Amino acid sequence: MSFSQGFVLGQHYPGSSPVHRSSALVKLIATIIVMVTIFVAVNTSEYLPVALFLLSGIMVSRIPARFFLRGIKPILFLIVLTVAVQILFTPGDSIWRFGVVRVTSQGLVLAAFITCRLVLLTLASVLLTASTSPIELTDAISDLLKPFRYIGLPSAEIALVMSIAMRFVPTILEETERIIRAQVSRGARIGEGGLVARMRSFIPILVPLFVSSFRRADDLAIAMEARGFRVNQPRTRYHLRGFHAVDLVILVFSLVTLGAAVLLRVWR
Amino acid sequence: MPIVLTDVDYIYDSGEPIEFFALHGITLEIPDGEFVGIVGRTGSGKSTLVQHMNGLLLPSRGQVRVDDVAVINKRDVLAAVRRKIGIVFQYPEDQFFAETVYDEVAFGCRNYGFSKERVDSSVRSALSVVGMDDERFLLQSPFQLSGGEQRRVAIASVIAMEQKFVILDEPTAGLDSISKLSVLSELESLRQSRKVTVVLVSHNMDEVAEFCTSVIVLDKGSVVFSGSTDDFFGNPSLVSDAGLDLPESYRLAGALAGCGSLLHVERGSSSAVLESLRRTVSKLGSP
Repeated sequence: MSFSQGFVLGQHYPGSSPVHRSSALVKLIATIIVMVTIFVAVNTSEYLPVALFLLSGIMVSRIPARFFLRGIKPILFLIVLTVAVQILFTPGDSIWRFGVVRVTSQGLVLAAFITCRLVLLTLASVLLTASTSPIELTDAISDLLKPFRYIGLPSAEIALVMSIAMRFVPTILEETERIIRAQVSRGARIGEGGLVARMRSFIPILVPLFVSSFRRADDLAIAMEARGFRVNQPRTRYHLRGFHAVDLVILVFSLVTLGAAVLLRVWR
Repeated sequence: MPIVLTDVDYIYDSGEPIEFFALHGITLEIPDGEFVGIVGRTGSGKSTLVQHMNGLLLPSRGQVRVDDVAVINKRDVLAAVRRKIGIVFQYPEDQFFAETVYDEVAFGCRNYGFSKERVDSSVRSALSVVGMDDERFLLQSPFQLSGGEQRRVAIASVIAMEQKFVILDEPTAGLDSISKLSVLSELESLRQSRKVTVVLVSHNMDEVAEFCTSVIVLDKGSVVFSGSTDDFFGNPSLVSDAGLDLPESYRLAGALAGCGSLLHVERGSSSAVLESLRRTVSKLGSP
């Protein structure tokens, strides 16, 4: 019984495709551009260039489609919920009604729009984290935040905090699974019964999880200091990499995506 | 009725390129009332095997039967199996959540709907089995106890459920040598007084030799030996093939035999070797 199987958001899928090899900073910027495009879109048609861009990225990355499907699985509930809300509560021309329940064409359009938005956002983030190792990603975030250093933002530290958080997602999931197994073996019925019973059933999981997370944080802090980590010190890097053709291609295509979406809006 | 596994395979990530046979054709029986050891090098599948015994993992192929009931993926079957089999996982103190030692130990009993009086008596008797029955512990936070005390409370929290089988996955890891010995002696006395079947997963061959009547030896997910502890450790090549060490007592007895000395000592657990030594020496002393 695996309780966290298939949780791929933030998981790295190692490979040697051009997507994997390209600069993490460029991928991060491209992802931000694509996400901005997704958020500013108002019509489903504007998602076409984004979908094309992401699909070609996915194809080139040679990461199996299954991996992305598993990434969408955890947000399936969210999608179903928002779709239901949109379909049922959007006013407009009703095309089907049953008592107080009525479905409007506007509702269907909105539901399709929101589904596309959520799926594309997930695909974009899974593609980024799957093709980029956490270390590369941290370096990229730190590079991206560098300009803010002049207003006193500790960019390297923020990047480190984020990368540690990401690094420990699988560890904490594993820990959760371990604790659930132990409590189930002690007769715990997790997520069963009424609302109150169900909430209470999570206490024997959450408390040990917090305790172990704090202990782990302490251990990590000590281990880092023991290896000479100091806050506010300039840091050198092991991996240095320049700007390559593939980076330029990704950057250009993400900008083209944004441009195409804008054009699609203007043409209407 | 025993725990019986028939031709059990367990594959992690089945169908993926990284699929991995954690267990391969495991057939074994844990007889009632015994103190059984499960040994094997790291990664040999011990923990995976143990999780099959109470349905936390279900076999990819083959069958697990507990008390002649096949363990299948049905809520009431799994609940009934777990009711019979207690597992003390590695570092069981990591599962603590309650405010007091009493509530921590009572958790399982309450889950199984023990009456208030029975909860009370079970908690107290479980804590006394592990030597933690001092009243001052009852209302203390389990987080404030020392490492050894925490381990005992965690073991008590499983014993309190009064199950037929208690499986312990490296219960002595990280304990000092005195605590190690007493925890295991307490389990042995539990086995004798309540006819509980105890399964011990361990890396420590000395404690296996001392406490287990029979051993199941795993290597690369398969059972390579199943039988009496003496037979296993009496065959040093079998032991080293499984990537394990001989217990100190067997080594001592072997070394003494190798000297061809007058000190003839029978091979066995450390207490047996000690006893044998004592006899031989006293025989030497009396002309």
